[in-house]
Amino acid sequence: MNTAVVTKPDYPPDYPIVQQAEHLDTAQLSDQVAHSFKTIAPFWPLKNLIAVNPLQGLEELPVEEAMLLGSTYFQQASLPGPMEAVNRQTIKWIQAYVDDGQATLPMPLRHAGLYTAWRQLAIHDTDLHDNNKQKQEWLTTLPENPEQAIREYLLQLGITTDEHTQFLTLLLTTLPGWASYIRYRTDWAGLDTDHPHPVTQIEYLALRLIITRLLWPEAKALLTWHQQALEQAQSEPNALDQIQQAESSYRLPLLQQLAAQPLEEPRTPEAQLVFCIDVRSESFRRAVETTGDYQTLGFAGFFGIPVQITDTVTGESYASCPVLLSPKHTVYESPCGSQAERENDRTGYVRLTKLKQLYQSMKYTFTTPFALVETLGVASGIWMGLRSLAPGIASGLRSNVSHSIRKTTAVVSSLDTLPLADQCAFAEGALRLMGLTHHVAPLVVLCGHGSATQNNAYATALDCGACGGRHGASNARILAGILNTSEVRAYLLQKGILIPDTTQFIAAEHNTTTDDVTLYGNASSEACQKLTRNLAKARQANSVERLKQMQKSAGRSDGGTQTRLRSQDWAQVRPEWGLARNAAFIVGPRDLTAALNLKGRSFLHSYDYTQDPTGTSLTTILTAPMVVAQWINTQYLFSTLDNVAFGSGSKITQNITGKIGVMQGNSSDLMTGLPLQSVYASDRLAYHQPQRLMTVVYAPRTLLDSIILTQPVLQKLFGNGWVQLACLEPEDRQTYLLTRDLLWQKAP
Amino acid sequence: MTFSVLDKLFHFDRLSMTMIVLVAFIGLCVGSFAYRYLKGDSQYRTFFIRLTLLISSVMVMVSADHLILLLVAWCVSNWLLVQLMIHKPGWKAAKSAGLLATKNFSLGAISVAGAFGLFYMTTAETSIQALLHQHTLSPTLLLALVLLLIGAMTQSAIWPFHRWLLSSLNSPTPVSAIMHAGLINGGGFLLVRFAPLYLQSPFLLTFIAVIGFCTALLGTLWKLLQPDVKRMLACSTMSQMGFMFVQCGLGLFPAAVAHLVWHGMFKAYLFLSSGSAAREKRVDQGYPPTSVAFILALVCGLAGSFSFAVSSGKAWLTGDTTLVLNVVAFLAASQFALPMLQPKPLRTLPVALVGTGLFGLVYGGSVQLITWILAPMELMQPQALNGFHIAGTLALTLAWLYRLFLQKPAKAASPAPWILKGYVTALNASQPHPDTITTHRNHYQYQ
Repeated sequence: MNTAVVTKPDYPPDYPIVQQAEHLDTAQLSDQVAHSFKTIAPFWPLKNLIAVNPLQGLEELPVEEAMLLGSTYFQQASLPGPMEAVNRQTIKWIQAYVDDGQATLPMPLRHAGLYTAWRQLAIHDTDLHDNNKQKQEWLTTLPENPEQAIREYLLQLGITTDEHTQFLTLLLTTLPGWASYIRYRTDWAGLDTDHPHPVTQIEYLALRLIITRLLWPEAKALLTWHQQALEQAQSEPNALDQIQQAESSYRLPLLQQLAAQPLEEPRTPEAQLVFCIDVRSESFRRAVETTGDYQTLGFAGFFGIPVQITDTVTGESYASCPVLLSPKHTVYESPCGSQAERENDRTGYVRLTKLKQLYQSMKYTFTTPFALVETLGVASGIWMGLRSLAPGIASGLRSNVSHSIRKTTAVVSSLDTLPLADQCAFAEGALRLMGLTHHVAPLVVLCGHGSATQNNAYATALDCGACGGRHGASNARILAGILNTSEVRAYLLQKGILIPDTTQFIAAEHNTTTDDVTLYGNASSEACQKLTRNLAKARQANSVERLKQMQKSAGRSDGGTQTRLRSQDWAQVRPEWGLARNAAFIVGPRDLTAALNLKGRSFLHSYDYTQDPTGTSLTTILTAPMVVAQWINTQYLFSTLDNVAFGSGSKITQNITGKIGVMQGNSSDLMTGLPLQSVYASDRLAYHQPQRLMTVVYAPRTLLDSIILTQPVLQKLFGNGWVQLACLEPEDRQTYLLTRDLLWQKAP
Repeated sequence: MTFSVLDKLFHFDRLSMTMIVLVAFIGLCVGSFAYRYLKGDSQYRTFFIRLTLLISSVMVMVSADHLILLLVAWCVSNWLLVQLMIHKPGWKAAKSAGLLATKNFSLGAISVAGAFGLFYMTTAETSIQALLHQHTLSPTLLLALVLLLIGAMTQSAIWPFHRWLLSSLNSPTPVSAIMHAGLINGGGFLLVRFAPLYLQSPFLLTFIAVIGFCTALLGTLWKLLQPDVKRMLACSTMSQMGFMFVQCGLGLFPAAVAHLVWHGMFKAYLFLSSGSAAREKRVDQGYPPTSVAFILALVCGLAGSFSFAVSSGKAWLTGDTTLVLNVVAFLAASQFALPMLQPKPLRTLPVALVGTGLFGLVYGGSVQLITWILAPMELMQPQALNGFHIAGTLALTLAWLYRLFLQKPAKAASPAPWILKGYVTALNASQPHPDTITTHRNHYQYQ
């Protein structure tokens, strides 16, 4: 796009530098902008929080250097004074612009894009021009084109061409959270790509630069400030030492234990249950296995089905797959049952919406809120008392009431939009990847997961990362549906995968907060009934284990009741520990881990190398689920190391802004990362153990070598020390560690 | 002996009882909420000690009869509130917000102290109940009432003393909850406490109503354009305090107490549940409504305001200030009817009529409950309507109509320059004080 020509007629002619500015061509500037944004990790909004490494932009560097550089960018105790004023104004405007439905009278002109809208409003902003005629005049003559603005004001600030990228980077890193959201909107937006309020990286930087130019004409000093920070950082102790200690006391014992586990002959159990690789599945799987002849498997919770889910009743859509993928198909979900039941559900939804509309119409306007508060005062008082003093009763009441307005109806996913060829490919891919190609049990349960919490801004951070921060039941339903189709089974048979006619696939969802498991579809068979009873037993057993990790709230009730209460309590800031304490990613058959108590610290991916001679499956596992695990691992790690710079601070003072993220208190940077309560047991005591991910693979080293050779992302993660790879060699049952030079070394 | 001392210091009447019950209830809710919510916080114990002290001192404040006791309890309560607000002194912005509130409360305390001094000088009484029996207002007493009013305005964040409230959100959520249901109402309480004196000055009453109207409108405007949930709630409280002042200024003090109590519970609830803000989905209201729907809504509004008047025991079409409340009830009932009338107004009219009728009954009933409790104090004294009352009511009505009809849809062509300028002005005016903004991420501290 070549738009370097200034067309504005009333542009003041007394800017000699403008012409110089045009020498800097568009492509070069776009490069600089894109490059500066690379330092910033994206921030997914609250509706689907995705774990991400806050130093993602520095992963090309060895971890030591990245952490050092990261500290100079993100962990500085203070800013140059005038930059604080710049931040105040940036926050004010960007907060208003990216608002996704909080303000009733939102910022005008937003459909025109950030820069265009802001330029027309900024001329009225006394905080910017301070009623100074000259500054006011200056604001009215801002270039129409944001690129032009960047060129011009970089020059006016005296930033030389080779300092451009560095300076622009600093404009971002001095207010990193908001920049992270812009990074999401511009590079990772997914279904938000066509957002009605468009924004580009250039626009954001132009806004930031103009405010800087106006409020701090000597902003070039930012470069020297950063230079000093760099020099100082060299002499500071590296946080990696503490991490390494934790790692070495964890890793070797684990490897030894794994190496000592015998592999058993394959056999057909009563039922197979497939759980997400999520570390929370590990302890639950253990509990389930003790209740009967059950075999459990681990697989990415989206079950290899990259789809967009659309609810036909509410019309809402979301991408139900890892953010690394983009959905290929849309699957429609509708209530199941008779025509009348479906109609009932629809009217129930309309009734619920009407009630919300009624309340909101009184609340979000002039004058009528005065009457609203007096009318609802008694009711809200009683409700507040109930929720605070008896959260369990309140929760029961709430579900009764909402049930009477709209009955909870089971939903079905229609497979009509998935071509048979794709269904076959999904089915084969999933079964091969988890190694379930033989000895298929009469009952196979595909179990997605999701959390259940109240009043929790971070609810989606506890949901399934593989499903893009959503609940996983939909994908499980789709795969179960596919695998129950006879055409698909016929295809699979051709490919050498035998699924007995008697085998039934059932979808389920594991509630990670309460350990309740809901089975979907026809679950009336004897085996399902038995399984349901056993799952209830497993829940009780796992609840006891959970409570050990929680600060007990007076031992009046049993584990199961207490865990359930946590998910119903609006005052609960630690409803569950999520993926805290995650430390390892184990790829191999369940036999390796079945007899071990891994304390919910390991991602478990089922894999059978004998079924994967070319390494296709393993490549997928290492480049997709493992990368997601690494994002999660680094998010927990850095949120624990520095909860202010990389986490979002204490929940007790958080303030949700624009429905997309949180600020601390009155107004602040957009707080990315995990809140204090997700990784700390108290203000001072960390619960998460910060350590890097160790990936253990049960496969020949030669296979691993061939994969690493072709995958730059693996070379980056292993070579730069972000992830430690360990190989459990099937041949000699020895464990080997991959060094940073990508060579194998026998584990001590 | 001790009994008579207590008797001199305290006066328990229906007003103090109402306030004590409110504060105790909110304290119980917020306390049990915080018991779990603050788990692991390094200031956990301190928080509960301060909270208990605050609730006690507010109880003393509302039942004090001795001027000095009231003043001391007033200052102690505010001081405790500021400590609760700061919570983590290592966080610069929180400390600044505390300082800002301290400045505001100090101004208030000085005004109240000045007022009390003047009271004592003119009447030689230290008992508030004795004071209230003054039958004429000397200029000194009038000055005292003005000072007292300033104290009340600072406490209730009435414009232009609202800044501290909009900057108070560095506080932990439970502190905001107890503040917006508790001490913020101190101004309203003070006016009601001294209502017999204010009722003798129609001029002052009108003045109170006027600043009330201004605060109510400004607060609502600001509330509607905030992009974050807590500042929205703070601006909303400001507007509600404005309305409470309006009710005082209309001579309808028990109605103001009703507003104070019910708003307190409502707002405390909203603060405690502010963690759910991201999940709240806004439903499109389909503005502007069709003219049929709008006219039928007005008809329903009449029915609603009529049932409001009946259940709150007021005349419907009167020439006194209760008419203002009836108009608010009318607007609210019309608004309530609108969503029910869409999209098929004629078919849903019966439902809407019954619905608004019920709404009016509940609304009137909750006002009447408090009015009935306070009846023996004889503070329900509607005033003659004057131009200011009518202008204020008209402004409330026009603002409501603006939202229904004039606010342009998002995609419309460029709005008029005055709208753009108005937006920026309002956005700037509703920003927290610069020192209370966390301008650098690492300035935030939770330790």
